[in-house]
Amino acid sequence: MFFLAIRHLLSRKRQTALIFLGISMGTMMFAIISGLQLGMREFVVDRLLSNTAHIRISARDQSVDKDEMTRRFYPQGEMISWLSPPSGKREEAHILYPQGWFDRLREDPEVVAYSPTLNMSVIISKADTRHPAVLVGVVPALYEKVLDISQYIQQGSLDVLKNSGNRVIVGNLLLESLGARLGDTIMVSSGQAELRPLKIAGVLSLSVEDVDKTLMIASLNDVQQLNKTPGQINEISVALVDINLAQAMAGAWALVSRDKVESWEEVNASFLQIFVFQDIVRITVTTAILVVAAFGIYNVLSIIVNQKRREIAILRSIGYPPSMILQLFLIQGVMLGFSGALFGLLVGFGLNLYIETIELNVHIGSGNTLIISFAPSIYIMGFAMAFFSAILASLLPALAASRLTPIDIIRSEI
Amino acid sequence: MGISCQRLIKSFGEPPTVIIKGIDLNIEDGDFVSISGRSGSGKSTLLYLLSTLDLPSSGSVMIDGQSPAELSVDALHQFRNESLGFVFQFHYLLPELTALENALLPARKNNNVDAKTHVNALFELFDIQTARDKLPSQLSGGEQQRVAIVRALSMKPRYLFADEPTGNLDSVNSKIVMDILKKANKEWGMTLILVTHEPDYAAMAEKEIFLKDGVIVNTAS
Repeated sequence: MFFLAIRHLLSRKRQTALIFLGISMGTMMFAIISGLQLGMREFVVDRLLSNTAHIRISARDQSVDKDEMTRRFYPQGEMISWLSPPSGKREEAHILYPQGWFDRLREDPEVVAYSPTLNMSVIISKADTRHPAVLVGVVPALYEKVLDISQYIQQGSLDVLKNSGNRVIVGNLLLESLGARLGDTIMVSSGQAELRPLKIAGVLSLSVEDVDKTLMIASLNDVQQLNKTPGQINEISVALVDINLAQAMAGAWALVSRDKVESWEEVNASFLQIFVFQDIVRITVTTAILVVAAFGIYNVLSIIVNQKRREIAILRSIGYPPSMILQLFLIQGVMLGFSGALFGLLVGFGLNLYIETIELNVHIGSGNTLIISFAPSIYIMGFAMAFFSAILASLLPALAASRLTPIDIIRSEI
Repeated sequence: MGISCQRLIKSFGEPPTVIIKGIDLNIEDGDFVSISGRSGSGKSTLLYLLSTLDLPSSGSVMIDGQSPAELSVDALHQFRNESLGFVFQFHYLLPELTALENALLPARKNNNVDAKTHVNALFELFDIQTARDKLPSQLSGGEQQRVAIVRALSMKPRYLFADEPTGNLDSVNSKIVMDILKKANKEWGMTLILVTHEPDYAAMAEKEIFLKDGVIVNTAS
């Protein structure tokens, strides 16, 4: 029936071209919108993951609880009414039993690496300039196995932190705020006691403003000394073999620990929520375009089935069964869906290649052009949506055609 | 084996209007049978019942030793494709196909490549060889009907059903068409069942059936 289906399509070139363009437009828009959205998403996720482990284990704050105090001081169950209820923190949050975590993580086959860190808020100063920052104490050899931070270090390298030596790698925007340069010494205060001098031995840029404006990385030993908490850590970053298992594994570990265990999705939930909205917008726009195209197919095929009643009658009388009549019209929908989707995706791909070269007045990562995703999943999904909507749209008219009997048509013609 | 029917009744609508009222008929292989009668007498309905295009309300039709009502959809269509040829008052050619492509449509169903030689010979025999590559809209009425007959004969069917094949043609083209149908019956041995309201054409048949109000009122041999 391909032969006849092609002839049908070619005999009404304008209608065929319009439907073809409708489907092409839908898939082209899908490829472009998806390319832009997913390109930016890949960029953002990549940057997030450069700064966020697959799973983050962090210490819970130990707050003073009024009810617990009541039970401890008045175990007989006296009726106590606090004039000023006890409040505050017992001590600075830290992971109480890190060795237990290390043992577990070392034995877990799903864990690639882990890195203990001590994070603390500090005030840094250089001359008269002061700035708040987050100082992360790391063991460089472990840290770079968990986070691919090295590629974002613009000057120096993580190796400079291998031995304690009061060295620090600083975010480029923070460096700018301080008016400092590589090799300069800055003063760091934990807010507890004296200022401690740290030498700027490296500069990093993740192209995430909030991070680049506040992040400093130093040796774990140096940070523990500055915080006056030798041997303490308050976070363990974990890298997994399969990132997709992060949420499930974090959930399982959280059940058996009093520490806070979060997957990277939970840590970045607000970002990921935006992605969900983006997906909804993208799929809604594309679906709207494809629905219009599908209605086009449905309308045109319905009209054609009506116009072709005589031909259907003669085909049935010369031995073409209903299944072949169904095929005849279904094939037309399939061919329009297939060719329209393919053409639209090719044009979308080409336009994406072009858009990728347009220079803008904004810095995105290391360049100033939009980041486009060419993930095969975009093109597979776009093709599938267009193809199946075309099949669905042609199915009803095709079924109607296959149910026509030759005698009913001939009688209605007389 | 021919075609036979017994106590054939066909009614339409609700309440039912009976069009064919208990017809018994026997047509031998190679017969040329004409069915005539006034408008509304049921002659076309009888032709469609005999030719498997329609099913009776009651009674039975046997064609080539089998009942169309008992065949599966695919078997019935295969039987139509291989053994039956139809010529209607309107040519029913597919407008987007050339005359040759139209004529080869039955053969195309089963990719019967041998039919092309036969069809080309028929085009020459019916003097329409120049029409082969033309679209139906580029042909005269007589040429269109001759192409429709070539299509009906393309699979060398054993039974040829013609429903007012000259109804839309002038006298010259009507004669050409009738000559072709007679040739198909006499020289190629096809069983021909012709519905016509033209007494002259009805008289060409070996067996004439005259219908009135759904009943055979006269049979002449």
